[in-house]
Order: sequence, then C-alpha cells, then structure tokens
Amino acid sequence: MIIKTNSASLIAVAAAAMAVSGATAVSAAGTLDTVKERGHLRCQVGPPSPGFYNLDSEGNWYGLDVSICQAVAAAIFGSKDAVEFQSVSSQARFTALANGDSDMLSRTATWTMSRDTQLGIDFLPPIFYDGQGFTVRADSGITSALELKGAKVCVKTGSTSELNLTDFSRLHDLKISQVTFEDFNVRDDTYVNGGCDAVSNDKSSMAGNNAAFPVPADHIILPETLSKEPLAPAVRQGDSQWRDVVQWSIYTLITAEELGVTKANVDDMKANSTNPSVLRMLGGESNLNEGLGLETDWAYNIIKSVGNYGEIYDAYIGSGEQAIGIKRAGTLNALWTEGGLMYSPPMR
Amino acid sequence: MAIIKAQKTTARAAPLSETSVVGWLHKNLFSSVFNTLLTLVTLYVIYLTLSSVFIWGFWDATFVAENRRECFNNSLTGACWAGVIDWFDNIFYGRYPRDQIWRINFGGLLLALWMAPLWMGRVNGKVLIAVSVIAFYPFLAGYLFAGGSKNLFLQIMVTGAIVAFAINMANMITGLTRRVSLNVFVIQLFGKTSAAEKSQRNLLLLLAGLVYAAVFFWQMSWHVEVVNWTKWGGLFLTLVISGIGIASALPGGIILALGRRSKLPVVRVLSTGFIEIFRSVPLITVLFMATTMFPLFMPEGFVLNKLVQVIIAVVLFNACYMAETVRAGLQAIPKGQFEGAHTIGLGYWGTMGLVVMPQALKHMIPNIVGSFIGLLKDTTLVSIIGLYDILGMLRSISKDVPWIGLHKEPLIFGAILFFTLCFSMSKYSRHLEVKLSAGNKH
Amino acid sequence: MYAPQSHQNRNAIVTSETESMPAVRIRPKERFNLFQDQRVRAAMYQVLAAGIVGFLAWYLVTNTAQNLEARGMNTGFGFINATAGFDTDFKLIDYTPGVGTFGRIFLIGALNTLLISALAIAISTVLGFFVGVLRLSPNWLVAKVALAFVEIFRNVPLLIQVVFWYIGVFSLLPVVKKTIDLSFGAERVLLNNRGLYMASPIPGELFWMTLVALAVAIISAIIFRRQTRKLQDKSGTQIKTLLPSFAVIVLLPGLVFVATGMPLDWDVPALTGFNFQGGTSLPPAFLALLVALSIYHAAHIAESVRAGILSVDRGQQDAAMAIGLKPGRVMALVIIPQAMPAIVPPLISNWMNTVKNSSLAIAIGYADIVSLFMQTGLNQAGYAVEMVGMTMAFYMAISLTISFFLNIYNKRVQLVER
Repeated sequence: MIIKTNSASLIAVAAAAMAVSGATAVSAAGTLDTVKERGHLRCQVGPPSPGFYNLDSEGNWYGLDVSICQAVAAAIFGSKDAVEFQSVSSQARFTALANGDSDMLSRTATWTMSRDTQLGIDFLPPIFYDGQGFTVRADSGITSALELKGAKVCVKTGSTSELNLTDFSRLHDLKISQVTFEDFNVRDDTYVNGGCDAVSNDKSSMAGNNAAFPVPADHIILPETLSKEPLAPAVRQGDSQWRDVVQWSIYTLITAEELGVTKANVDDMKANSTNPSVLRMLGGESNLNEGLGLETDWAYNIIKSVGNYGEIYDAYIGSGEQAIGIKRAGTLNALWTEGGLMYSPPMR
Repeated sequence: MAIIKAQKTTARAAPLSETSVVGWLHKNLFSSVFNTLLTLVTLYVIYLTLSSVFIWGFWDATFVAENRRECFNNSLTGACWAGVIDWFDNIFYGRYPRDQIWRINFGGLLLALWMAPLWMGRVNGKVLIAVSVIAFYPFLAGYLFAGGSKNLFLQIMVTGAIVAFAINMANMITGLTRRVSLNVFVIQLFGKTSAAEKSQRNLLLLLAGLVYAAVFFWQMSWHVEVVNWTKWGGLFLTLVISGIGIASALPGGIILALGRRSKLPVVRVLSTGFIEIFRSVPLITVLFMATTMFPLFMPEGFVLNKLVQVIIAVVLFNACYMAETVRAGLQAIPKGQFEGAHTIGLGYWGTMGLVVMPQALKHMIPNIVGSFIGLLKDTTLVSIIGLYDILGMLRSISKDVPWIGLHKEPLIFGAILFFTLCFSMSKYSRHLEVKLSAGNKH
Repeated sequence: MYAPQSHQNRNAIVTSETESMPAVRIRPKERFNLFQDQRVRAAMYQVLAAGIVGFLAWYLVTNTAQNLEARGMNTGFGFINATAGFDTDFKLIDYTPGVGTFGRIFLIGALNTLLISALAIAISTVLGFFVGVLRLSPNWLVAKVALAFVEIFRNVPLLIQVVFWYIGVFSLLPVVKKTIDLSFGAERVLLNNRGLYMASPIPGELFWMTLVALAVAIISAIIFRRQTRKLQDKSGTQIKTLLPSFAVIVLLPGLVFVATGMPLDWDVPALTGFNFQGGTSLPPAFLALLVALSIYHAAHIAESVRAGILSVDRGQQDAAMAIGLKPGRVMALVIIPQAMPAIVPPLISNWMNTVKNSSLAIAIGYADIVSLFMQTGLNQAGYAVEMVGMTMAFYMAISLTISFFLNIYNKRVQLVER
C-alpha cells in the first residue's frame, strides 16, 4: 500500500516528462536478447570529437567510433540505422555503461588495466592506436618535448592526458604547469593565441584540431609519445555472448579489409568468390553465426552497411571529405600485413 | 489687482528650450561643461564599439560558404556566419528527423493559437483557457513530439486536449464575432435560452460528450512515427525543459510556499528545509546530483533516462524558487483579506483557494514571467552534462569537420537569440506589471 | 480557521444558525467527528507529512545502499586522506600532485570559489551602484548607455557570457613577448594572455612598525570623525573630516615606513624561459570568470539600486535640494540611506547568486570547488554520493551564513504591519 503511494508520487513528479519519454528497465536477460527485443542498439559516444564522433549539420553522427556502433547494429539487425547514439560526458561514461544505460561504448576510451579490472567493464580490440604528444609553434625552436622546461601546457580535463602529463613532467623534472580546459576548442584557441606554449593531447586528435588552426603549417607535433593510448570500445563485464558479438563485429571489419572485401564488391564476392575464407565470413559455407546468436548474413550486413576498416579509416580519419587527415601507412593503425597492429584472429 | 478678460487667453507657446531639437539637446546632453564632456566621450566610445562590431560582423563577414576554409579565403578578419546558417536546423530542432520537423512547428502553432484568446479583450473564460493549456497541452504536445503508441491514459488526455482546443477556438470565434461565449451561443442556437439552468447544462454536457466520443474514435486511427528523446535538441529542447520546468514548478511552488507558511511545525520545517537546501546550491550541482545520484536512488533495474532526470532536477530546483515568489505574493496580501475570509466562514483551503491565492497569483504574473526568463537562461546549463540543447548545439558546430574551430560566431548568435527572447519577455512582464498595478488603483 | 476552536464550539454555532434560519442549507446530520477537530487534524497532517518524508528518505537510502553494493562502488569518507594524482594550475595553498590528499583538493577548490566570489561581489556591487545611479543620470545619452548595458548583460545567459569572455577576449590578449604593463613602466602589474601578473610584496624586518602606524592612523581618524559628528550634532558646526583623515592615514605610516628604512621588497615577475616567474599571477580563466560574474551581477544590482532610489519619495530630493545640499550630497546623505532597506535584500540575494554562479567555472576550467573537486576529483576517486554531498554542504554553509545576516538586517528595518 505504502509502496504504491510512493511510486505514485514519484510518477506524479515525472508524469509530464514520462508521458513524452518514458522510463527504461534493465532486464536480467542477456544484453543481446535485450537489444533484439528493444529493436535498436544503444551505443555510447561522447561530446563531439572530430574524426571519431561528430554531428553534421543534418544532425547525423559520423566518425570512426560511430561506424563501429553502426557495424554492431548491422550485425544484429541488418541495418546500420538501428542504433541510438547516447552522447555522455566523459565523467559519466563508464558508469553509464556499467549501470546498463548503454549497451556498449565506442568513444576514444583508452584501454587501461585499472579501467578494465576495476570498473566492471571489458575492453574489446582497439580500433585506433594513439599516443599522447605535444604540439608547439614551429617558430619556438623547440624540437623535443624535453625542452619544455617550465612551459605552460594546455590540456583537457577529465581525461588521461592530465595524468600522463603530470607523470611526464615529474619523470623528467620539467616543472610543466598545466592549464586545464573543459572544452578542446577553448584549449586550442588559448594555445593559438599564445596562452600556452604547447598543447598536449592524443596525437590523432591533435592532427585533426591543428588542421583547423588559421595557419596549420605554423605548428608542429613533437616526436615524443608520452603514452600508449589504445582506443577501444567496451562492454559491460560478465556477458560473454554480448562481448563476442561486438568483438567479432570489429574483427569482421579488419578481416574484410585483409581479404579485400569492400562495401562496393561485397555482393559480387558473396556470389562469385572462390576464396573459402571470404565465403566462410560472408556466411556461404559455415555456421559461424550460430555461436553468436545472429543471422547467417551478419558479416555481409556489416560490410554492406559500413564497409571494411580501411574504408572507414579513409572516410573519417584519412583522406576523405569528412576526414581529419591523419595518414595511415607506416603507423600502428596499418594492417598487420603492412607492418601495423590491426590484426584479426582467423574467422573459421 | 486682477485683470479679468472675457475671453480665455490663448496659451503661449512653450519656450524654445522645451520644444526644439536644439533645446532638447541642450537640456539632455550639453547642460554643463561636464555633461558636454561626458556626452562627447560616450559618443566616441559608442562609435568605436559599433564600428568594429559592424566591420567584423557584417562588412567583412562571410554569409555563404561551404566550409571554414572558404570563410578564411574570403576574409581572415570577418565573422563566418555561413557555419551558423548551415547548422540552423540543428540549432533550432536538434537532431529531430528533418522530415518530421513540421510536428514541432505544428505543436508550437497549436500552443500559440491556444493561448491567443488570453490576449483578446472580447473573449470570455480566460481562467479556464489557462487551466486547459496547463492540464491538456503537455499531453498533446508530448504525443506529437515523441510519437509511438498511446496507452489508454494518453489517449484520454490527447482526446481531452483536442476537444479543449476545439472548444477554445470555437469560443474565441463566437467571442470575436458575436461577443458571447460559446456556451451562450450554443444555447441560443438550440433556442433554449429560457430553459432551466439544469437542462441547459445537461445539453452542453451532452454535446461535449458526443464531440469527445467522436474525437476519441478519430484519434485511435492516428499513427505518429516514434522520435526518440535523444534526437530532441536545440532551442526546441531548451523550450521543452524550461516549459515543463515552469509549468510544474508553479503548483510545486504553491504547495511548498503554503507549507512554509503553515502553522503546523513539522510541515513548516520540512518545507523550509527543502526550499532552503535547493535554493542554496547552484543548479549545476543539482544537475550533477540528478545524473550521478538519481540512478542510485532508484530501485534495482529501474533506470530513468537522462532527459527525465534533468527535468526532475529542473522542476525541483525551480519549485523552490517559485515557492519564494509565491510566498512574497502571499505576504503582499493584506491581513484583512485573511480575516475577511475567516469571517464569512471559509476554512483554510477555502481562504487560500478562493480569496488569497487568486489575488496573489494575479500579482505574481510578472514575477512568474521573470522566473521563466531566469529558467530559460539557466537551462543552458544542461549542455554541461551532455544534452544537446541550444548551447550544446552551438558548441558542437566547431567540431563538425567542415566548420572545425568555429566557435565565436555560434556563441554570439546564441547571445543575440537569447537577448531577443528574454528582453522581449521582460519588456512584456514590465508592461503587465504596470497594467496590473494600474488596474489595482481603482 | 475552518473549524472553530473545538467541536462543542462548532456545534453551538450550528445550533444557533438552525434556530435563526429555516433548515434549507444546513444539514444537521453533521455529528461529532474526530476529523473535524482542528488539533487532531493538525497532528494527523504532521504525522502524515513526517511519515511520507521519512519513508521516502528510508526508501532512497536503502536503494542507494543496495545499488552501491551491487555495483561494487566504494563508500565512506576515507578518500579524504587518499592522495590525489592530479594537478591544478591555480591554488592558494601548497599542494603537490601525488602527495596532496583529496581533502586538500576540497580545500583548494573551496578557497578558489570563495576568492573569486568575494572579488566578484566587491566589483559587482561597486559597479552596480555606479551603473544604477547612471541609469538616472540627467544626461540622456549616458542614461541610455547604462540602460543598454543593463539589458544586454541581464538577458544573455551567464554561461554564454563566461565562455565568450574566455574565448573571445582573454585568449586574445597579447602574447607574453608583447605584455602590457599596467603599472606604467614599473613592471609591477603585467597583463598578457597567460593572465595577470602582479609583483607581490615581501615585508622586511621592521615592516610591522608601518602596519602599527597604519592601524593607529585609522583608529585616530575614526575617533576624529566621531568627535566632529558629536560636535555637529551639538553645535551645528561642520568640520571637514575627509581631507585630514586621509592625510593622517597616508602620512603617518608613510613617515614610519621611510624612517625605518623602507623595509619592503617586491617579488617582481620576470620573464624566465617561457613565462613570467615570481609575483602573483591570475590565469585567464580566473579573469574571464571574474569579469563575467562582475558584469552580469552588476547589471542585476544596478536594477535594484535604481528601483531602490526610485522608491524614495520625490519630495525627499526636493526637500534636500531646498535646504541647499549639493546633488552629490543629496544622493549620499538623503536618498541612498532611505533607499537602502529596498536595496539590501535584493543586493544580498545577488551576492548569494554570485557565489552559486561561480560554479560556471566548470565550463572554462577555473579550478573552483565544482570543477576541481566534484568533477575532476569525482572522476578520479568515484565517491559520487560523498563528493556531491560535500560540495552541496559547502554551498549551503555559505548561503546559510549570508541569509543569517540578511535576516538580522531585515528584522532591523522591517516595517511592522499594524
């Protein structure tokens, strides 16, 4: 009786809001079943970050991380649009995943041991290998990060970059003074106008942001890399079926690139390929889908909707129209066959 | 010695110093050396400010471009409004599906039409109109904006809203054309003007019931596409949050204010404590509390989405501020009113509901508009916790690859937009204040 | 009240009514009812209210406890003594990352909030009074400019203003190499886009004597002023106090300072490597927030000052002019003192809002209590309930203190009705 009264009053408070948006419940069932039942995937990204998750003027999300979400949605539902993007601030990101708000997150989160082991989440294969570095003005004459003694360095709050910078400064006794920013635009503006001697951030983001400086050529990225930053999607701990689904969706993207299957030729490959690996992946001669609890053409759907890893990289990170312009060849993000770290276990 | 003339002397013209432009200038701008100096300095400062703003924002500005690089190519020193213009849909409607935007516009139009009679002198029943807006409009708007399937309760309310809207419009038309309210007009139409009060009422109820039933069956066939709340954004979201905030804060504020003035110590202490706690902390901490702690408050497995969390926080926060506004309104009611109400035998709720509150609320209207302006401005804080309200959208422009780094122009655009909204509302509330206090002095 | 003092009493009235009127509207079936008794109902309402609130509190607490346990989240206040690994660029007390504790982080944040609030309150009050008086200036142009100032800054959200001052103004100041010297070549106060640098004084051995002299001078000036007031009250003779007091306050400590051999050194900011070192420095985020808060609240204060002045009867001004007071003194001696009861309550609530609004620092990264402790700290340590609670308690303590003084003031000036 009393409980009823109470929930009634709670509902009364939220009544108007509820009527328009409704409450959600986490069921005890596996995440895959929950997602299937709901009809769409809830994928967590962050406040816009060029290259990885941006809003365009039409209100659509685009970027590398966004494509990962779309790939998983395509694997489950056959359509890359069956995904609801949740933009969560970096303070709340892991909590929102752990408490069931998000089904997965894909948002330039660095895979670290403490996060993996203490936060109740599991990281999946990295989709981008990054590292923290410094940008300085070319005319400052600085060529190495070790020359930054006493410098003022702009960094963003609430990220590992603050911690890495403190560590680096202590390690080399540089007495770097940090200026922290909530917003990376403000950070970059302050730097461009001379408010800091250097910006410190993941090199990939810096490359993208530096392209927006009034004269990009006036700024250089120093060679030192302060940290290893494997940016990886993550899922809630303890649901290995769901983990497998997301993990193998990512591996499919890499395998497809390795096998030369692209968005454009996937139909042709499915019909005419003689390569057994391709046929196995595309669902012709195997039952790889059964272990995942997905349809037979799950991998075909992924490639058909978003393309392979190389295509995604080109579109948003590399040289595409919406890309931030970071070259891939020779970096850790190249395929393993080309000397990089992008490697998928065999799909058989 | 008095000279008395038969005719009225024609009034002499006012001295030149009072009527001519020069006279005005002398009196208001150059009355002394100091004043002259002040005027000249001020003029110079105004010139400096306006000219640089004009050159940056208009003369050197770029209005049409594909991306920021083109803006730079056009002019390095001027504003790049092209990015803001390109993002207009996002700024006003958020990520709402572009082919569904008419729903938001339609909802806004409905609200405007619904409230329009409140400003028309010839229309009767203004209190009923105001109540019907608050009671029914949120459900209709909520359904229109969110779409999807309706449960029975929502169907009832949506039907109620449509009927209320139709009656309201009909009432407005009869009021404007014939200066009678709808019920009188209907009675006349049926030729029952001389019938007993009770049978007149029964007739009206019957008609309303028939209309209701017809609309109910009609709306059952509607199907409106679902738009998830995560796609709501821009100015639309700002208005939704502040609209719900102000509409729910008013009843909450009234209850809290009555509690605070109650003679019952427990009620008084609880209300006062609640009000003071929320009034003494910044909104941003309440929002943080809502997003980090509400999930912990809820029973296992019950997750409120972020929009609901934020709305609850905003409502709680504003109810406490509204309570103080209401309390001030109550304090302004002379003791005689309470005593008079007691004398005619009204109890507590009678006194409050029939005598005190209506007077207090009427005088609080300007303050309520003031609170709404404050709330509208405060709502921009939700961008800090990751909702894409208008400020969130304005700040996202600079991250879109074509417009990367463009952030001053959006902010200035936002400032101008808010200024226009808030300034016109505050002008209006001042006008109301004057009108109400004039009405009070008869 | 609804029911008169007790049920017997009510019955009495009903009876008398029944006697005097035909029983058309009175329904005599009303019998003694426990719920009709006012005291019983009052008690019931209170028990009900307390019960609902108590139950709600219990419900929320148990849910929270369960959820915390289910998610394996840490609880308790032990984290206060844990070391915090992150640094901050603006702090009033010593702190070393990796050594300092979260307790210290809380203290740094709290002090930073208090510092910026105090400065913003001081500036906005002065500026607000100034603009409020200008709003009523006889110079039409000045009055309109003041009006534009008030309307523009009141009607744009503070958050937009804060961000705008930050990215639009303070990051556009000249770079270090082109520093502006605000002390006219003395290199004591320097402004560039790294912030505001000021020379900080280092007192020498005998400097205490100067301070003592200053205190003596101030006290004697106050006594002097009191005496002249008394004299004026008695005899009507006015003695100018301003100039002599000022002379004493400047000259006495000045003489002592010179006599003791000028025992004061300056820690002057000097360009070493990338930055100015030494002295005291304020980062751009601090300056931007300070300017935004000061101007926004000055615009609000100006409005209440104007309203306060207008609330003073026009006759007061005319009368004061008639007895020959100059316009400035009319304002200072007659109008403002009478306007104060109308100005002070909104003024103080503005001060409270200033403290609360300083939390917008989070948008530009000034290390106030919210951005440093409740955001960065919470992000690192994760004690959500405790940290949000501590932050809210901090603000509540400030507000309660301010409203305590406001209540005292209100009691003193309140006009009692009847």
